[in-house]
Amino acid sequence: MDDRKTSEGSFKQARVRILVLAVIIAVGLSAGISRLFYLQVFRNNDLSKIAVRQHQKTVALEPLRGTIYDRKGRVLAVNLDVESVYAVPSEIGDAREAAKRLSRFINEDWRILEKKLKSDKGFVWLARKIDPNIAIKIKNEIKNEDLEGIGFIKESKRFYPKKELFGHLIGFAGLDNTGLSGIEARYDEFLKGEDGFIILERDARGSHIFPSSGYKPPVKGKDIVLTIDESIQYICERELDKAIQKTHAKSGMVIGMDPKTGEILAMAVKPSFNPNEFIKYAPAEWRNRIVSDPYEPGSTLKVIVASAALEDKVASPSEPMFFGEDKIDIDGEIIHDTVREKGRLSFRDVIKRSSNVGAVRIGMRLGKERLYSHLKSFGFGDRTDIDISGESRGILRQTREWSKRSIGSVSLGQEIAVTPIQLITAVSSVANNGWMMKPFVVSEIRDEDKIVRKVYPEIKKRVLSAETAAEMTRILTSVVEAGGTGEKAAIDGYRVAGKTGTAQKIDLKTGLYSDRYFISSFIGYAPAEDPQIALLVVVDSPEGLAWGGSVAAPVFKNIAEDVLLYMNAPSTNEERILMVKRE
Amino acid sequence: MIYSSSAIPALKRLNDIFFFLKRQMIWAVIGIVMMIIVSRIDYKNWDRLFLPMFGLTILLLIFVLIMGKEVNGARRWLRIGILSFQPAELSKLTIIIYMARIIAKKGERIKDFMNGFLPVMSVIGLFVMLIMIEPDLGTAVTIGIIALSLLFAGGARLKHIMFLGVLLTPLMYTLIFNAGYRMQRLKTYWDPWKDPYNSGYQIIQSYLALGSGGLFGVGLGEGKQKLFFLPEAHTDFIFSILGEELGFAGGSAVIALFAVLIYLGFVISLRAEDIFAKYLALGITVMIGIQAVINISVVTGLLPTKGIPLPFISFGGSSLLINMLAIGILMNISGQNSGSG
Repeated sequence: MDDRKTSEGSFKQARVRILVLAVIIAVGLSAGISRLFYLQVFRNNDLSKIAVRQHQKTVALEPLRGTIYDRKGRVLAVNLDVESVYAVPSEIGDAREAAKRLSRFINEDWRILEKKLKSDKGFVWLARKIDPNIAIKIKNEIKNEDLEGIGFIKESKRFYPKKELFGHLIGFAGLDNTGLSGIEARYDEFLKGEDGFIILERDARGSHIFPSSGYKPPVKGKDIVLTIDESIQYICERELDKAIQKTHAKSGMVIGMDPKTGEILAMAVKPSFNPNEFIKYAPAEWRNRIVSDPYEPGSTLKVIVASAALEDKVASPSEPMFFGEDKIDIDGEIIHDTVREKGRLSFRDVIKRSSNVGAVRIGMRLGKERLYSHLKSFGFGDRTDIDISGESRGILRQTREWSKRSIGSVSLGQEIAVTPIQLITAVSSVANNGWMMKPFVVSEIRDEDKIVRKVYPEIKKRVLSAETAAEMTRILTSVVEAGGTGEKAAIDGYRVAGKTGTAQKIDLKTGLYSDRYFISSFIGYAPAEDPQIALLVVVDSPEGLAWGGSVAAPVFKNIAEDVLLYMNAPSTNEERILMVKRE
Repeated sequence: MIYSSSAIPALKRLNDIFFFLKRQMIWAVIGIVMMIIVSRIDYKNWDRLFLPMFGLTILLLIFVLIMGKEVNGARRWLRIGILSFQPAELSKLTIIIYMARIIAKKGERIKDFMNGFLPVMSVIGLFVMLIMIEPDLGTAVTIGIIALSLLFAGGARLKHIMFLGVLLTPLMYTLIFNAGYRMQRLKTYWDPWKDPYNSGYQIIQSYLALGSGGLFGVGLGEGKQKLFFLPEAHTDFIFSILGEELGFAGGSAVIALFAVLIYLGFVISLRAEDIFAKYLALGITVMIGIQAVINISVVTGLLPTKGIPLPFISFGGSSLLINMLAIGILMNISGQNSGSG
């Protein structure tokens, strides 16, 4: 009985304890189901978003950049198919070994490659846009050594078929096809096109990527047509190169403009730079100095000073402005004249012979206020707003900052700094009957055959009356005739108007004008009676005879001669040439 | 029949990876055949078969330490042709039979410390130790819990069990703090998002899988998390993928099926008049129940990460076979005792 009782009791106890175990497991399962409900139903939204983010990778598809053409439709910048090497780190076996092998072809330290191959990313670039021959070598190596996890993707690379010819003007686009300099940078928003994308599904290792539904094709960038003419550009560079070689000059620039429209026809900067290999040059060498670097123009500025004096009628062309002196004293500063003439010189001859004393006298006739306002009106001290980035304003000081002798210096093209683009724009307005045109280099933006934007010539203002402009052209024509400083710019069959300039450079050590280094320049246009092209030639620090008339004028002549021939410009009436000569 | 309805989703889960599918199918066929055979063998034979089975288990446990296939630093598997077998899984069943037998034999003496509790604990301790050497802490803990549950239900004094608890605390402490990965798992348990790419990775991926599933899931075979995002997707974390593909509906259905199976197990145990049968049935029920609870809790982040498979569903042949065998035994007990009870 006792025994039965205990057994009865332990039986009951067992029943209770089994039920306790059942309850524990039931509670456990209920907790699991509640938690499941919380995660799957309440957190559904945010958790699935995070999950999608890790499953999908949006890969940007690079669009092709637009093509750049010259005014005749010649291609100046295109895209080439090139290959880029990538790695899927999770599939790499021996990262060190692979890195060491690859470093023989990829210009990168193997330690850096190893780090990339070991990264926890699903995808890493090893080398972008490599030389096709190197790509073949790497492919062979991968095959021979059974390297896994390394692949190639086709990309496009900007190529400039004309190499150095347009380096400074067109600039270049970088590895990611973004314009970094020149037209490529300035018009990047049009050239670059629109990125496309493809959504890739991926697994945690980043491999086994397969495309999903999301896809947007990239849109090719717009094409750009320049006002530049490759032939004229070529002539300019060729002649500039010759001159620099001959005179051992430091550098040089030529800019050619259609004075009637403001279209830039050529823009040459030396030493040149090849945009295909931009990385080999210092950023300072990429600069388009025609717009970015102001310099003291020297006597070429006399064109503007004389135009201003005639416009304000403070002097007449035949009025004597020089009386045989060899120097002039302005507030204690002596300005010497290079002209050694016993007799007097008229206003016209002061320009023709580039007399300093005469020019100072013309400037003083105007007075500093009028001289300043005319220079300002001609655009000095302000940007021309040409569609090239990095344009400088140059330096034109306010008259209250002028010293007493500034009037003399400015009249001679000193104490003022101008950019080549400012000077050619100003002188072009003399050639264009006194109308100043806004300079520009891009004439059209096209989308396939459709013109998206057409740029029309834009008149900025009238800076001179037609009579003054015509008189100035006559005076400038005499510069290029016998006895003028620009004789060497004369071209058979055409009348040329122009002005020489020989500016002393400022010696950076002493802060004074150097007597060894000059900027030799010539600015002019032809044919004088119906100008087709205005040209500015600047040669920096030529050796030997540094006169604008001896260094820059022949460059002008050679360029203008070929360009006029190329343009089929009608030659100037022979009779008129004879007539002028008799004068 | 519960096992089969839960085994089918388990097979479907793996049907995109034939490697696992083929092996799991072989085990499933062996398991079903064995289950049918075992369900027709009188459970009382297990009592008689105990000694050879006990010896075999101990032998295999020692054998695996010497000859076992090493995977990730653990020797848990013995190769049999193309299949691998885990002796630790077998030891679960052996322990259950041992416990049922000893409780039936000793009766009230189980309350006695020197004669009841201590000898039982020594045997269990031997098993647990051998398994921990592999190491396979998950199975060792499971065996410990099963044994303690049976001791508890079998009438052992609560103070003895508590004494054991006090004794085990410093042991667990050293175990956790001496293995960096266990400590890491514990830390991660508190805040997995703190270290989402290393220690928190697995549980976060499990959350993402479950969270993506929503109410009805993304569809069978459409789950993305199994693409290597979720480690152990086909074994310990198979429930996350099930939740991703079949949603809360599928996940809760699986839990419900477990609940039904466990409920039936408890009913069989409670109704059994034979003491050996009662504890055998209870042991089997607790084995399946506790593993299901721990696995689901780990996968849903209620418990720190622990390598315990989900019965019938996780990939793993030995586990499947043993669970099927256990169900066969349960069926036999049910058949014999339902008539009389």
